[in-house]
Amino acid sequence: MQSRGVEVWRSREQAAEEKPFEIEKIMNLRRVFLFIFSFIFFAFALSGCGREKGVRLTFWQFWPSDVIEPIITEFERANPGIKVEMQQLTWQNGFEKIVAAVSSGTQPDLCELGSTWVPRFAADGVLGEVTSEVGALRDSLLFWESCTLDGKIYGIPWVAGTRALFYNKELFQEAGLDPDSPPSTWEELIECARRIHSPRNGVYGYGMNAGERYVLFKKFMPFAWGNGGRILNQDLRRSEFASGENLDALLFYCSLKKYSLVEKQDVLDMTFKQGKVGLEISGGWNLKTIPADAPDLKFGVAVVPKPKACCGVHASFAGSEILVTFAKSKRHKDALKLARFLVEKQNMIALCRSAKSVQPTFRGVENDPYYDSNPLERTFVVQLSTAIAPPPHPRWPEIEEVIESTVEEVVYGVKKPEEALLEADRKISSIVSNAER
Amino acid sequence: MHKTRSTLVFLSPWLVSFGIFWVFPLVFSLVLSFLRFNPLRPDTTQIVWLSNFATAFKDPLFWKSLTNTLVFVLGTVPVTTVVAFFLAVAINQRIPLRTLYRSGFFVPSIISVVVISIIFKQFYSPLGLVNKVVQLFGGEPKSWLGEPRTALLCIMAMDVWASFGYYTILFLAGLQAIPSETYEAARIDGSGFWGTLRFVTVPMVRPITLFIVVINTIRSFQIFIEIFVMTRGAPLNSTLTSVFYLYDRAFYRFEMGYASAVAYLLFIVILCFSLAQMRYLRMGRAAGE
Repeated sequence: MQSRGVEVWRSREQAAEEKPFEIEKIMNLRRVFLFIFSFIFFAFALSGCGREKGVRLTFWQFWPSDVIEPIITEFERANPGIKVEMQQLTWQNGFEKIVAAVSSGTQPDLCELGSTWVPRFAADGVLGEVTSEVGALRDSLLFWESCTLDGKIYGIPWVAGTRALFYNKELFQEAGLDPDSPPSTWEELIECARRIHSPRNGVYGYGMNAGERYVLFKKFMPFAWGNGGRILNQDLRRSEFASGENLDALLFYCSLKKYSLVEKQDVLDMTFKQGKVGLEISGGWNLKTIPADAPDLKFGVAVVPKPKACCGVHASFAGSEILVTFAKSKRHKDALKLARFLVEKQNMIALCRSAKSVQPTFRGVENDPYYDSNPLERTFVVQLSTAIAPPPHPRWPEIEEVIESTVEEVVYGVKKPEEALLEADRKISSIVSNAER
Repeated sequence: MHKTRSTLVFLSPWLVSFGIFWVFPLVFSLVLSFLRFNPLRPDTTQIVWLSNFATAFKDPLFWKSLTNTLVFVLGTVPVTTVVAFFLAVAINQRIPLRTLYRSGFFVPSIISVVVISIIFKQFYSPLGLVNKVVQLFGGEPKSWLGEPRTALLCIMAMDVWASFGYYTILFLAGLQAIPSETYEAARIDGSGFWGTLRFVTVPMVRPITLFIVVINTIRSFQIFIEIFVMTRGAPLNSTLTSVFYLYDRAFYRFEMGYASAVAYLLFIVILCFSLAQMRYLRMGRAAGE
């Protein structure tokens, strides 16, 4: 089964290469097909004998069609009775669209959700529970904690993404640093940033995120987690945000500001591509966009530095994408069939290879031969093994907001780090103690 | 009787869409503002009467967003109006390439706000045009939208640029409605350029000025797209405006009832402003006539 899948994938790749020469032919064919199809459709509709054959599954997801369509076509070929209707959502407004659809009863059969959204939806009782149906998958995949609430499982982890340290090799060289040894401790990181930083020439040492919600905590928490800090305790009922570990991380993060460009993620990525930022923590999407937008940029990817050579971990943010069904959906079984197909090893790898921004969620993926020849992507896989997912609390969005405004206030010097952490601790405490589970 | 019926038939397409897309949401959100309503869990809906409004009054972020919105309105509306007025006066003269200016000023109004926001985001970025100019004059580049002190100002400047053209055209229409005899009479009486402007042009365009100020104020109070595209309320909530605030509560926290209450509070603020403006500007006209 497995080898067949790989073969099919390869032939698809070949097909993709041949495509440009045949585009016109295909377009014409498509038009002819469309015509015939619509003719048949109308004929059936008019004669009143249009019979629904098989199942129509609606699947909402976030991938561009060139990434996901081959896999879905494959699925439809393997399951002749099922037709998948896909809709592509965007990370900017997909969330609202899902909320609107669920509240009006027009939810899809299968849906991709960002892991931080799942607890909230699960707590509101809109997701279909799959605890008894995922059995064997539980040992082969990671990231189950993100889709588990009170011991019940509400989804299947599909792909995972993390953040790693991108650095500009040319700027390293100009600053007299070794372009092949990226910083691996906090001290080295700040030293690299300091030597590269030269705002007069429009060159910045470090790219620091601020002024952006839903992003900042992914850039600050790696330092806190790496230092052993936490947001909530084990059973998610108490805040542990005001710990000394978190304070150290916050102080360190602030000390980076002196050698930083403080901007939003898209601006940082853009400036990095223009070769004006020495280091930044960013996501795997750059592996796809840098070669396209700035093919001459010499850059490297490393794991996020840890506090000291002797102690701490190379932590980072771990986000996964979860396949969920909805409680109100009628085609639960077929939706799960599609979900199981999507998380099959070769399909996951196929997706990750063409998307580049995510990694498969199955255990031991770093040993896959593909990653031997793609060291940059391998770094992401390695980073993922020490990455940490935010606590799966139903009111996470509010907790996240507290963390981000706290870091922001300290970075901009509005509040003192100690006070800000204590205040955040109080706020998070009241959020988790008021939560109705 | 017969006539009213046929009138109604002809008006019905508009009446139906007005009912569905305006009246219904308006009434529905008024009802919502007295409820606690989570769209994902309609079963937990609860009548809370005025507590949503009380929560808003107690939330410092609500006040922050309202203050930002007020700063935005008070900062942009007068500037836009004055700029538009003087440009209209300028392109109402016989100057070369008049049509080019007229259409040129109007161009920003036909570009989508999203597109304008994305373009300006590039301008304000660290390696963007604004910093290039700053560096040319020996200044140090900075991240304009990343600084709490400058972010809102940058968006305000953009808004003035994007909207003055439309109001210039409105002013121009107002100017052209002034009979030339009035100007002639003023000239014979020995009035200079500024005198004519002060005693003829300004009073004569007062009705259109009222219209411009009122609609521009309403539009500015509702600023959202620019914020959504450029800053999302950040940094440090310095660009958090009322509409963005209520959008955030409604769609990220599922507090639809609370968001509706905030929307109605904003409605009351806008209503007060518009009434005050109409009263003030109308009174002025009565005295001038």
